[in-house]
Amino acid sequence: MITASFYRDREGNLNHYRIIGHANSGVYGQDIVCAAVSATTIGTTNSLQDLAGLTPVVESDQDNGGYLDVTISLHVDQEKVLISQVLLENLLGTLQSIQKNYSDYLIVKNDTSTD
Amino acid sequence: MLEMNLQFFAHHKGGGSTANGRDSAGRRLGAKAADGQTVTAGSIIFRQRGTKIHPGENVLRGGDDTLFATAAGIVRFERLGRDKKKVSVYPVAEAK
Repeated sequence: MITASFYRDREGNLNHYRIIGHANSGVYGQDIVCAAVSATTIGTTNSLQDLAGLTPVVESDQDNGGYLDVTISLHVDQEKVLISQVLLENLLGTLQSIQKNYSDYLIVKNDTSTD
Repeated sequence: MLEMNLQFFAHHKGGGSTANGRDSAGRRLGAKAADGQTVTAGSIIFRQRGTKIHPGENVLRGGDDTLFATAAGIVRFERLGRDKKKVSVYPVAEAK
């Protein structure tokens, strides 16, 4: 089961997300839920750098997989904040829609606690 | 940049099954910037649970107790009272 937790700052902007666990929806190499979550989260994390021009603090377990923790600092200009929020709200929405159909393998927590 | 590994969140390949073998991943807490290091505004200085280190000048505490700089400058870990510690960021001109 993958658990995706999203955190917001005091202004309600998403600035921290942590994805933990293994989907186990299929054998390694054919785990489609894992592939979907991996593609969206890794793609978004790279886009925070490429498109939003941010430098996310990324912690991940490259050996065993199943752990990705990304924090961004929003003490930057407004355009970068806006781009980052579009990317992260899109990621959150995508994972939530995956969860609707694959709730045995993915839980998405849109945490209300500020970060 | 992260490598696009589509099985990053898949169960690790190979191996027999066991009832145990579960553990949460390490949280990589601790200092992310050293004393005397120059940081930019917004940089994360210290990841912690609770307040092992308290925020000092030009430093704020996030929701998960992470300490980050609110101004560019040099990091200083200092004492706070008898038995506590704090971390401050002093803009380069003021740095002692």
